[in-house]
Formats: sequence, C-alpha cells, structure tokens
Amino acid sequence: MTLRLRKHSFSDDETLMMAIVNRTPDSFFDKGATWAEDAAFERVRLVADQGAEIVDIGGIKAAPGLEVGVAEEKARVVDFVARVRAEFPGLVISVDTWRAEVGAAVCEAGADVLNDAWGGADPELVDVAAQYDAAIVCTHTGGVTPRTRPYRIEYDDVMRAVLDDTLGYAQRALDAGVARESIVIDPAHDFGKNTFHSLEVTRRLDEMVATGWPVLVSLSNKDFVGETLDRPVGERLLGTLAATSVCALAGARIYRVHQVEETRQTVDMVWTIAGRRRPARAIRGIQ
Amino acid sequence: MTARTRVALIPGCLALLPEHASFRDPVAELRAAVETATSWLGGAVEIVATEQGHRVAVAALAARTTSASDVERSVLVVLNGSACRTEKAPGFLDERAEAFDAALGAALTTPNPQALRQIDGALGQELWADVATSPQLADLLDGARTVSVDHDAAPYGVQYWVVRWEI
Repeated sequence: MTLRLRKHSFSDDETLMMAIVNRTPDSFFDKGATWAEDAAFERVRLVADQGAEIVDIGGIKAAPGLEVGVAEEKARVVDFVARVRAEFPGLVISVDTWRAEVGAAVCEAGADVLNDAWGGADPELVDVAAQYDAAIVCTHTGGVTPRTRPYRIEYDDVMRAVLDDTLGYAQRALDAGVARESIVIDPAHDFGKNTFHSLEVTRRLDEMVATGWPVLVSLSNKDFVGETLDRPVGERLLGTLAATSVCALAGARIYRVHQVEETRQTVDMVWTIAGRRRPARAIRGIQ
Repeated sequence: MTARTRVALIPGCLALLPEHASFRDPVAELRAAVETATSWLGGAVEIVATEQGHRVAVAALAARTTSASDVERSVLVVLNGSACRTEKAPGFLDERAEAFDAALGAALTTPNPQALRQIDGALGQELWADVATSPQLADLLDGARTVSVDHDAAPYGVQYWVVRWEI
C-alpha cells in the first residue's frame, strides 16, 4: 500500500529507516547519550546524513522508571520537534508517545507521525492524528499498561492476538478520520511479549504484511535478541540484523533502528533478493 | 531521398536487457549509442544475431523511442569483439585479443567486407568473441559506406562497437 506520512509520500517498493532519537536520560541502548538537546540534534543530523527517512523522537523510555508527566514530556520533545522541522523540511518526524495531549502539541510543531508504542492506551490519540492529517502507528501490546514489563503473559495464538489488536486499532484510526494511507501496523516486539512470542511474531510476520497495511518493525537491540543469543546490550547488532532480514523478506516497510547504515544495507540486500529492488550496479557475467 | 538499406551493429551485451537493470546503469554510454543507432533504423527491422543476441536486439528495438520512416530496408546485426582484453575480463587476459579486436574493428569501421570474411572464427571462439554473424554482415556491407561509429570501447574487457552503415 502506498504510504503517506503527512506531507511525505512513499511508493509501494520503498523501505524506510526510522532512526531512534531519544530525548531521555535513561533509555536502554544509548543510556542518555542524546539527553542534551544539542546532542540529540547532532544525532538527527547524523542519521539524516546516513539516509534515514524518518526520525522517531521519544521523550520517555519504554521501561519502568521515574514517572514523566505530560508537561515534562512536552518540554522534552515539542520545541525539539519544531527545531528539527525547521532545519530538515524533507525529513519525516515521528514522535514516540501514547498521550493525545503530547501528540497534539508535536503535530502543531510539525510532527508527521504519532508512533504509539503502547497500543492505543490513550483512546484520543487517533483523533489527534485525524485532526492534523498525521500518520499513526498501531501497535500490539496485549493490553498492558504503558511502561510495564510483560509478566507471565500467555496467548493461545500470539499472531492472532497481534492481528486482532493492530487491525482493530487501525479500524479505530480509520473511523476517527485518519487517512487509510497513513495508518501503519506494528507487532511491537518485546511489548507485552516474552522472547518466544517475539520470535514467533518475527517468524510469522508475513501474516501481518498480507493484511495490506504497511508494517513497521522495531527490533533494534531488544531483549528478545539478547536472550536468544545471550548477548548484552551493545552486542546485539548481528542478531538484530538477522531478525531484520527475516522481517524484510516478509515485506516489512519501516524499520525503527539505532544503527541506520547497517540496517539499510541489510534491508536493501534482502529486498533485492526478494525481487522488489534493483541491484545498485550489476555487470558481473552480463558484459 | 529514401535510403535503400540501413544496417546497424550492436554488441550482445546482456546488461542491455531490461531484466538486468540496475539503479546506476553500468553500460549507460553503450545504451545511449545503441538507442541512437536503433532509432536511425526504419520501423520494420530484420535481425541478424545468434539466439542470445536476438534477445538483446529485440530489447534494443523495444527501447527506442523513434524510428526512421524513409528507409527501404533496415537490418540490426549483433556482434562483438573479444572478452579477453584485461585480467578482469570474463575470459581473462589473452595477449592475442587486442590484435584480433583491432583487425575486426578496422574491418567494421572502414567497412571492409573482404577483411570481415577473413576473420578467424576459431580464434574468435578462443577469445570469447561473438562473431558468428560476421559472414552475413560482410555480405550486407558490400558497397556500404560508414555513417557513424557511435561506440568503440572495451569497458569491462569486452570489445563493443556500435556502428551504422548505409548502402
């Protein structure tokens, strides 16, 4: 399906790198490296140079921790979004938030995508996306409360649950007035899922792609990779890229990543193997 | 004035086929020359080529955007020189390749049908040249004059020519 992220449109055969930019002091991978605004802005500049089509700006880490209220979350992201919008008009700006109030403020500042990692915890977020003609990412979390870890969650069929929830969320967005071409679904690896669930979702990602909605995957350096390979944060790139390959072969369109260049090469390679992309420059044996 | 016969030569380079397209065209100059030559031919074109070369000719004709209207007969011939011009060439470096290609090139660009008939087909085979059509081309070129040598290069160790003649 052709994808429109507010003013930015992408054809069916394009894959998109969504680079993570944390405005947090405590996210698991960068551990506050881009907490300072200028450092975060340098990160935006870097990933834009590396070819990322989207930046995903987040003001709250996903894991439990100190509570961050609406005012503090807005203080972390709204002005920053405006600054990025002003300097990078061609870059898609996504904001990782579940709160409608924050969503409205960042859309006012120029954000294009509301990346709701918490599965519609705030039911008014879809109305905000519709109001601003923004895109929305509809994730599956199994209904957990934002910023909680999964604990003894079980599914009869995890992919069935993912499909039911994300398609239900997509329908709610559609009913609220979000444009069809601006709705993305995301199985949300590790959110409301143990490692076995995330592995199964990866293995069966083609079932999400078959729905016709554009699929986003957020795999980067997550615990399911670390537990599978027994690797700590910082040593999960190879596992991440292996999982990325499986999702690319299935047809995922958007990749939320820490490492842009490595993921871009991986996705381009798999996308080309799948016959959806041309080689960069092939002459071997056909001179 | 209506030309009686136009003959164009292109190489059987498989990178010209649409199924082998890349983001950055590795044979952009060759492709441009091929389009110039094929567009200069008339609407109905006879093809002289091996089975593989025939596919390249069909693709080249399909890719052209225009054709000439004032031609009695048009022929597209597929032939190329050795594939042994460098160590990176498909057939590796063969010291005999340069002289072979020079003789073949002179016969084509002059044109000299008699010299073309005397091309050593066995040596050509050893040098991975595609010269199976050279006898037919020699017959076509009796009394011909060269209109243009649009391309003469061996960018990947394979000798290409794009040449146009009129009779």
